[in-house]
Amino acid sequence: MILALSIGVLVAGAVFLMMSRSFIRVVLGFVLLSHAANLLLFSTGGTSRRAEPLGKSLDPVLTADPLPQAFVLTAIVISFAITIYLLSLAITGGRDEDDEDGDDA
Amino acid sequence: MTLLGLLLGGWLLTALAPLLARWLGHRAGWPLAAGLLGLAAMALMLGYDTTVEQSVPWIPSLDIALRLRLDGLAMLFVALVLIVGALVMIYSTAYFRGKPTVSYYTLMTAFAASMTMLVLADDLVLLFVSWEFTTLCSYLLILRSGPDAGPPAARTLLVTVAGGLCLLAAVATIVVRTGTTHLSTALADPAWSEDGTFATTVAILVAVAAMTKSAQFPFHAWLPDAMVAPAPVSAYLHAAAMVKAGIYLLLRFAEPAAHAPAWSALLITVGLVSSFIGAVFALQRTDLKALLAYSTVSHLGLLTLVIGVGTTAALTAAVVHVVAHAAFKSAGFLYVGLLEKRAGTRDIREVGGLWRSMPLASVLILVAAVAMGGIPPTLGFVSKELVLDGVLHGPGLWLAALVALSAAITVAYSGRMVVSTLPGAPTRLAPASGTWPMVVAIAIGAVAAGTFGLVAPALDPLVGRAVAATGGSGDVHLALWHGVTPALGLSLAAIAAGALLIVARRGVDRVLDRRLFPVTGVGAVEAVQRAVQVTGRRLGDLTRTDAPAAHLAVPLLLIAVLGVAGLVALTPSWEAADSTAVDVALLIVLTGGVIATVVARSRLGAVIAVGVAGFSVAVWFFTLGASDVALTQLLVEILTVVIMVLVLRHLPQQFGRRSVRRAVPAAILAIAAGVVATLGPLVFTGRAELSAVGRWFVEEGPVETGGANVVNTILVEFRALDTFGELVVLAIAALAITALVEARPRVTRPVLPSVSSLLAPAAPNAVFINVLARVLVPLMLLGSLYALLRGHNAPGGGFIAALIGAGALATRYLGAPDDREAHSGLPYLAIAGSGVVVAAVSGFIGYAERSFLTPLHADILGYHFTTSLIFDLGVYLAVFGVILGALDSLGSPEEPAAKAGDRR
Repeated sequence: MILALSIGVLVAGAVFLMMSRSFIRVVLGFVLLSHAANLLLFSTGGTSRRAEPLGKSLDPVLTADPLPQAFVLTAIVISFAITIYLLSLAITGGRDEDDEDGDDA
Repeated sequence: MTLLGLLLGGWLLTALAPLLARWLGHRAGWPLAAGLLGLAAMALMLGYDTTVEQSVPWIPSLDIALRLRLDGLAMLFVALVLIVGALVMIYSTAYFRGKPTVSYYTLMTAFAASMTMLVLADDLVLLFVSWEFTTLCSYLLILRSGPDAGPPAARTLLVTVAGGLCLLAAVATIVVRTGTTHLSTALADPAWSEDGTFATTVAILVAVAAMTKSAQFPFHAWLPDAMVAPAPVSAYLHAAAMVKAGIYLLLRFAEPAAHAPAWSALLITVGLVSSFIGAVFALQRTDLKALLAYSTVSHLGLLTLVIGVGTTAALTAAVVHVVAHAAFKSAGFLYVGLLEKRAGTRDIREVGGLWRSMPLASVLILVAAVAMGGIPPTLGFVSKELVLDGVLHGPGLWLAALVALSAAITVAYSGRMVVSTLPGAPTRLAPASGTWPMVVAIAIGAVAAGTFGLVAPALDPLVGRAVAATGGSGDVHLALWHGVTPALGLSLAAIAAGALLIVARRGVDRVLDRRLFPVTGVGAVEAVQRAVQVTGRRLGDLTRTDAPAAHLAVPLLLIAVLGVAGLVALTPSWEAADSTAVDVALLIVLTGGVIATVVARSRLGAVIAVGVAGFSVAVWFFTLGASDVALTQLLVEILTVVIMVLVLRHLPQQFGRRSVRRAVPAAILAIAAGVVATLGPLVFTGRAELSAVGRWFVEEGPVETGGANVVNTILVEFRALDTFGELVVLAIAALAITALVEARPRVTRPVLPSVSSLLAPAAPNAVFINVLARVLVPLMLLGSLYALLRGHNAPGGGFIAALIGAGALATRYLGAPDDREAHSGLPYLAIAGSGVVVAAVSGFIGYAERSFLTPLHADILGYHFTTSLIFDLGVYLAVFGVILGALDSLGSPEEPAAKAGDRR
């Protein structure tokens, strides 16, 4: 329930930022959206079992689902790489992003 | 000697053609003609009196094979294609004297090979592929003929490709309905007679495809357009061979398609209209080439019409007329080429007295024109009488009378070709030296057209087997004289009427010397082309903007719609039982961070706020039992802030003002998306127990891998291929970042207001971090190595280790007094690339046991080792490389921008 609300808050913030004219805000929106996607992946494992999947003999009743964790671990790094790529877009192109910023030009 | 040999022979000749043309120049036509004749002989030996089949597997999983079949119909067309091809090659040796010929000979031979493949094809896919080959060859041959050839070539391509798409649709329909790509089987399928919708659909599609190829009304525009090509190309493709591909297709499908009533009606209508308007246009033209082009439209119309009639007599007429037309029309086009070469013009008003200046050629064109007009004793007369007879015994006298009318006009324009050019005062001509191969080629065509009528019974076996293959009776007896029949009467009446039109040609010219139709075919094709382009541009305009919001709004809105629709069908579960007090605290911090990000006025403020959200997400991961993921998130969050700060230096401090008009719809969309995103997980993820696959990993993972860190073993062993793909993405990202920063100009750096504060000077303020870095950097690097090694059993692994290492780099970077010093100069692209290579190599080691990326395990000196550690090293290098690249290229000194990251 609370996890779902967190996802909702992140998505709302992300969408609002992405509708902005400032490219940096769009990038920040992308960052929030990837947080939301990662938490969504976690929610598929459920929130009732929270023990670490660490150790040689694990109890399936208590241990968290390791598969979404593995997905999210790589997803974080990939979205980080894409964030860097978007940031390089923001400062190249010869035109300041604020040229178009502000009121509907 | 097999069918496959015949096919491969054609393509071998195509491969040799450029070599021959380079070596022999224009004389390459001789060996190529010999090759084509050799193939024709081979075909005759293989299949003159029997049907031969051969099949070579091609795509067995789809039941597509290189199925070849040489039956009577294929035999006739193969002989036609190869023999006329050889004639044209002989002709070309003189026509192209002193001109570049490599592409010409290659394309012409390729065309002959494609055409052979088309008529031999007994597989629907092969048939379609060959069909498109002939289209392409035609396009390229027109295109190479000069600087003005572009638009006509494109129009030809557009029309014939549209037909090709119809054929593709027909092929797909047949394959789906009959379940086979085997042409003979598909044509014999009971579906044709049982399923009227199927038969009609396919019949119309096939008819349209054939109509485009054979330049039938309303697709006739491209054929006169294609006349910019040189004479031999016109003679071969646009008179004797390629346009006959459409006729071949109609004949091939004649038997099954006749089950659809629309087939007959469509073909007779289109054929009649084409035959009539083609003849009228031909009579109107004074350019001999254009005259012959429209004459081709007319004659092919006649063929389409009789195929539509579909009786044995009509099909016999079609087959004989195909042969007759190929003979007299190729002679005609080749003659026009000769005339153009010697007289410098092909307009009948500008030449005269050819009777005296080129007597031999004049005799030949006279014979060809007589055959074209269908005057006895030529083959043209035989075939025309057969056509009239077939129509009389099919639809009846009314249609036969209309056909005879078009035949009369045919006589008239055939007569015009000769009556105004042969007699009269001789035109000055260029010398005839070296043109004898051209005359030979014309002679063979003209003599065949002229004399085959006298020896018509000799054609019986060839024609009979071809008619049998189209579903008619193979018992064919051709003759010059059939006795006094209604068909003979109509034929003679047509000749008489035509003769009258020739005599009264001045009056006829006055009537015809105007535009007969308000639209021209070329104009229509161009209009369609323009309309398509304009529509495309209009559609494109909808998305042609740089603003990301315009592109993002549509999918986001659709997600919201999807979510609402989902809620109608499903009920969310509202249980809050799983939540803890920590969760609620996290939600509060997270919401604060998100709101702060959204409302922040300064860029730096927004970056800090987004960091707050990121850290709370990291803690979320930790409370959910994922310390590895939490660690990764934490490190990424730190590095994100570092890199964002590097970027922010280039941008103004404050965001621009946000307008209300823009913010309100954005807020509505944001809230809708947020609600959907909240309800989605509540609906879909209410499962209580562990998933089956998760349970397997928890119970069996540590046993299988000997590693206690299940998440890490999933990444580097169970789903290593997935991770490998991600490494490639990271390496590509490093490349893309470098390319962006190097190739695009930087944004201009804003002039910062001078700040008189103790915080302003960078170097003294960096002293603390500088001193710290000396201790921290080596420690962090060591720590990252440790994290890499222990990842199999405890939190750590390649991703986390690389992020720690990158953190060390960032610390060093921040401690440096200026950009130039901070630049590490390490070859980051090589590092990222080597990560992929190392991971791939470790994958190949897996082949020692089972397959790519299978981990191998060994216990050495009491420690457990696995090759997945090497894979993890690859992960490390790739992640490290991309972050290093980001620091070096984004944090590089402004001037010169192009130097960024150049030390690779």
